[in-house]
Amino acid sequence: MSPQSIIAVSNLTKFYGDFKALDSVSFGVKKGWVYGYLGPNGAGKTTTIRTMLGLLRPDQGEVQIDDVNPTRDPVHALQKVGYAPELPTLQTFFSGEQLMDFTGKMFGLDKLTRKEKINQLIDLVGLKEWGNKKIGKYSKGMVQRLSVALALINDPLVLIMDEPTIGMDPEATAHFRNLFTNLSKQGKTVFISSHLLDEVQRICTHVGMINKGKMVFDGPITQVLEAFTRKWVVEAELEEVTKSMISGLEKLDYVEDVEVEGNKLRIGLKEKKDLRGEISSEIFKRKGVLLSLNLQKITLEDAYLRALRGGERK
Amino acid sequence: MSFVRRVAVILGYEWRRALAKKWVLALIVLAIVFQTLILVALAQFIGTVLEVEFDTIWVIGVLQGQGLFVPLIAIIIAGGSMSEEYERGTADILLSKPITKVEYITGKFLGGFSVLCLVEGITTATGVVLSLGLFGPQSELQVAPVLFLAIAYSSLVFFSLSFMFSEVFRRGTLAMFTAFGIFIASSVVSGILSMLYVLTGEQLYEYISKGLPTWSTTNFAQFVVSQLIGTLQSPLQPISSGDFQLAAAIIAVYAGASIVIALVRLVKSDVSKKAD
Ligand SMILES: Nc1ncnc2c1ncn2[C@@H]1O[C@H](COP(=O)(O)OP(=O)(O)OP(=O)(O)O)[C@@H](O)[C@H]1O
Ligand SMILES: [Mg+2]
Repeated sequence: MSPQSIIAVSNLTKFYGDFKALDSVSFGVKKGWVYGYLGPNGAGKTTTIRTMLGLLRPDQGEVQIDDVNPTRDPVHALQKVGYAPELPTLQTFFSGEQLMDFTGKMFGLDKLTRKEKINQLIDLVGLKEWGNKKIGKYSKGMVQRLSVALALINDPLVLIMDEPTIGMDPEATAHFRNLFTNLSKQGKTVFISSHLLDEVQRICTHVGMINKGKMVFDGPITQVLEAFTRKWVVEAELEEVTKSMISGLEKLDYVEDVEVEGNKLRIGLKEKKDLRGEISSEIFKRKGVLLSLNLQKITLEDAYLRALRGGERK
Repeated sequence: MSFVRRVAVILGYEWRRALAKKWVLALIVLAIVFQTLILVALAQFIGTVLEVEFDTIWVIGVLQGQGLFVPLIAIIIAGGSMSEEYERGTADILLSKPITKVEYITGKFLGGFSVLCLVEGITTATGVVLSLGLFGPQSELQVAPVLFLAIAYSSLVFFSLSFMFSEVFRRGTLAMFTAFGIFIASSVVSGILSMLYVLTGEQLYEYISKGLPTWSTTNFAQFVVSQLIGTLQSPLQPISSGDFQLAAAIIAVYAGASIVIALVRLVKSDVSKKAD
């Protein structure tokens, strides 16, 4: 990974017993990025994140956060990291404010700073009335909110969140997505895992896709669309396919290419438009007899699924 | 932030965690009740068995009160110390912070152990105060702090064993049952071996008996006291003298080995989640 990466994950392999949960996973996240780590259930997202924090010991490979390995030197590697675990289970005997205070102590913050931060963050995550109540009494969504506040107590440079919006209501989800975008605007690096394409699409600048322990894509969000949202295709089935028909279609300025397969034509379009009318009239002009005519659109959703299929192990 | 400060933060956390539990408070109350019962029973005995030295009876009261209770409380506090963080899923929260595993386990150990010392301090003080009330003025009270320290030190054996199981098994109840099982087994086997030694005169029986974890745990404090104020006659059991240095060494070995095993387990393995 390039040296400027704040999070550099290289060739991470992790076994649970005989099961290979991560297979040589590599990616880099640079300052100010909102990196979406996308993958279906069981893909290895949580495993990657817990390894990044030094909670799991990798069998191979290495993680560096701001050039420090968190397994070897957690004190320096994690000082500027905020972490919100997946479905967090917090110490129920603390109140929200007490847990924030304790977490602040773990980061070595002085009393005054802790107090300021607690007031500011408890408000930011919308737990003002609940700050002094025991966490045991919180609902699932409230625990998630508190967990994000805890991750921000040390004013982190890097914010690592494992599916932070799970269990939040739509309003809170929107609020927090907004918050993450704002944090990145303040120069923080945000790493967020999700199995929701839509979520990643809304807030992330970069995407890593993982499936069954393997990275299947890593790059800017704009490139995902390019890489996987391939052209729309019109499929035409004819009684008979002639050479002149193919060359005629190829000459059309909205057609990119034409594939022939028996009596079927796959006509790739340059634009994402339904051009079946134009194509059928062209075929009629060349005296072709159409049996069927279908348009195949490819959405980001398809692209994602296609990417995941590409990552499947043999 | 220094090593000491990070350890202190975890130590404070461990106190907070222990005091949030009703059972810790219940244990303290129970220990006091037990201490009281022992002394009241002693007071009843005194009426019939008179060859007891009245003015040092507080020593007997304190020691008898601690005998069974201290290892039990030690086992319960230590057995939940590391394991509960895994069982509840809070280990992730703690160990994803800027702290080394060595600092974490040190804070946990010292935190739990200082809670245990608090309980021991309270029961020792209760023993002294009740003795004054039940038997009148007592002598040699200056030994009380030493007796407390000796009791605390001897409780290290089962505290450390249970603490080790807590980290190795990462299951609180399993850790406590294992440590308690060892306590019972060690007491029984030790008794049998002493008997065999008396019957056969075979030294080996005695050596093994002394090496078992209960011998040093139950004897160290009274050896120290008898070193300071001579042997005492108790209506329940004599306070005898013995090799307190050997007992001290055995305690150190058990505690040291347990701590090292727990540390290796923590450092060498993944932080497990709830379901693991
Ligand atoms: N402690 C463990 N022991 C054995 N297998 C595990 C363990 N933890 C995770 N796994 C397996 O490793 C794989 C990856 O799990 P991981 O939790 O990283 O997935 P994920 O991408 O976070 O999924 P989700 O979206 O459901 O959170 C899964 O197949 C899971 O069953
Ligand atoms: Mg997960």
